[in-house]
Amino acid sequence: MKRARTTRAAAILLGPFFVLFTLAMVLPIGYAVWLSLFTEKQSGLGFGGTETVFSGLDNYTAALGDRAFREGFGVLLGYCLFYIPLLLVGALALALLLDSTLARARRFFQLALFLPHAVPGIIAALIWVYLYTPQLSPVVSAMESGGIGFDFFSPDGALPSVVNIALWEWLGYNMVIFYAALQAIDRSVLEAATVDGAGAWRIAIGIKVPLIRASVVMVALFTVIGSLQLFTEPLILNKGTGSAVSSTWTPNMYAYTAAFERNDYGLAAAASILLALTAALLSFVVTRFTGRKGKKA
Amino acid sequence: MSRSSSRTSLAVVGAATALAVLTACGGSGDDTSAAGSDGKPVSITFWGWTKGSKEVVDAFNASHTNVKVVYEEIPSGNAGGYAKISNAVKAGNAPDLVSIEYPQLPEYVSQGALQDIGQYFTEDIRKKLLPQAVELTTLGGKNWAVPFDASPQSFYYRKDLFAKYGVEVPKTWDDFRKAAEKVKKADKKARIGTFFPDDPTTFQAMAWQAGAQWYKPEGDTWKVNTTDAATDKVADYWQGLLDDDLIRANASFSPEWTNSLKNGGTVGYLGAAWGAGVLKGTLPEQSGKWAVAPMPSWDGKPASGMLGGSTFAVTKDSKKAEAAVEFATWMSTTPEGIKARIESGTSSAFPAAASLRPVAKKAFDADFYGGEDIYRVFEDAATSIGPDWSWGPTTGTTNTTMKDQFGKVASGGTTVKEAVKAGHDATVAELKKRGLKVEDAG
Repeated sequence: MKRARTTRAAAILLGPFFVLFTLAMVLPIGYAVWLSLFTEKQSGLGFGGTETVFSGLDNYTAALGDRAFREGFGVLLGYCLFYIPLLLVGALALALLLDSTLARARRFFQLALFLPHAVPGIIAALIWVYLYTPQLSPVVSAMESGGIGFDFFSPDGALPSVVNIALWEWLGYNMVIFYAALQAIDRSVLEAATVDGAGAWRIAIGIKVPLIRASVVMVALFTVIGSLQLFTEPLILNKGTGSAVSSTWTPNMYAYTAAFERNDYGLAAAASILLALTAALLSFVVTRFTGRKGKKA
Repeated sequence: MSRSSSRTSLAVVGAATALAVLTACGGSGDDTSAAGSDGKPVSITFWGWTKGSKEVVDAFNASHTNVKVVYEEIPSGNAGGYAKISNAVKAGNAPDLVSIEYPQLPEYVSQGALQDIGQYFTEDIRKKLLPQAVELTTLGGKNWAVPFDASPQSFYYRKDLFAKYGVEVPKTWDDFRKAAEKVKKADKKARIGTFFPDDPTTFQAMAWQAGAQWYKPEGDTWKVNTTDAATDKVADYWQGLLDDDLIRANASFSPEWTNSLKNGGTVGYLGAAWGAGVLKGTLPEQSGKWAVAPMPSWDGKPASGMLGGSTFAVTKDSKKAEAAVEFATWMSTTPEGIKARIESGTSSAFPAAASLRPVAKKAFDADFYGGEDIYRVFEDAATSIGPDWSWGPTTGTTNTTMKDQFGKVASGGTTVKEAVKAGHDATVAELKKRGLKVEDAG
């Protein structure tokens, strides 16, 4: 009887989650899969309306066969290789600095560094677009007077421009995660190291970093998944700047453009699912890889 | 999960809400058919963004008891408005009436997002409107939208600075290049105009003006040719201006562009009739310093394409097409409708209804242009709009592709000509994908 009651309690407590999960996750994904199997065909000059036809995996082959879609993954790869090391090293360095005995006004810096994250991504992107725009931006004019001419909107400048916005948004956030992990390290370990004659630098690299590896792995994983969804910042750079960031710059943007500018919902659904599969595969690989490494050590 | 799927979930939620709304509407829908008898006004919703729309709606509601319009301002088409409309139609909660520009209309028709309004938008009304505009809204023999404005091209320039630099108003494109050189020589930071990498429609209007015809319906086949001699000529010309740094490359209506207008770094604007109101609204402190001239042409004779221009279309699920068309017709073809819009002070729309141009002229406060008769200039340009141009059903694909490529032109990543060719190829591929017959004439 007691058991029945626990089951009921579990059902009641878990129910809302599953209802929401079904409504907000399972159904939409199912709907996207469904959409991706159909295409709209027209006849004559195309003004007689559309007919929805089952097209099997045609949308998938169309997406994979589109150079723009494949190039989007190339951009993502470049973005990850550029952004993730910078983010991890930067956030870790800041967290170690804050955690070190040298730091003054910890609370202030913690808050100040975290603050950019409180700005919504879209606002951040708009602010940065302004700061990138020649003739308007104090940053660009300062660079120019210093003899550095850099076009943030050019094909070569696009990736650094986006990476910079993302760093600005996420550095402080990840720094806080690392800092919290560092604070949780048993102080006696650090004291022992000091007694053994290890300097601050040695303690940071040799003791603190290995001890918070779990946080580093988690941040890396979340950043990889987050990077795959890159959308808002480049979309702002695409709209209204005439920059080299194209409307299909990342796979997410490709899906968006397919749906809302080309009205091809089937293609958009297929592209989204391909992207989701990539994300799933990548998370699997990252967790597997880092997990094994953890065991060895 | 990827953001697109959260978008999809939004669509599902949207669809659910739409269902609720639809059922609600269903109830009132029955009432509306009997609206005349019980005296209750039919309520329609209207989505738009063009200047002065709110004032027009207010004026309509104040003078009508049978129809009540609820206006919702949406972002301008390319800034997200079109995505919003497509989405709403897909989700089944679209408004009754929407603003759509001429180039995008065929795309919406081919998606089945609109309804044929031929029975309400009758021959009597059509007769009042510019034939080219009616032609652009008649697709596959049916009427899909009520044209609002014709948007002949025009050239806006700072007459004070032109005088100061000793530059004459260019009549031909050769003159324009010479004028561009002169402006740059007089002030090395100033340029005569702007290439808009984010807006292929400006380029298309130039090609149209030069006599190009990108999409040609022949029987049931689309003949697509965006690389004819006329287009190539225009592409080479603009490439030359860009290569020699004679014009700016800024996004249209971007802060960068506005800023260069404000500080005299840009002294001209190759736009269309509606641009007069935009300049006036953007640069109030430069009142009296601007003038309007006909677009330069290739042979010096008046010639014009159409750049943008709005129509009003009824969405497919609307049960109030009659009321929606009544309102649209009121906006496009009555003196009251035109007057209300232009008097808002921000619109310089050039009505497709010829008889109403004096009304528009009278309502537009032309002090910004030193009292110049700008509607005269538009009128002349309108008569020279090339009659052969039509838009294809894949404008979204054509323009997105061209826009992506144009973004790389200024930094030397590609050329105008290659960008246009890329647009051509994408268009042909998209038409084929939809199962339509295409003749690739490029």
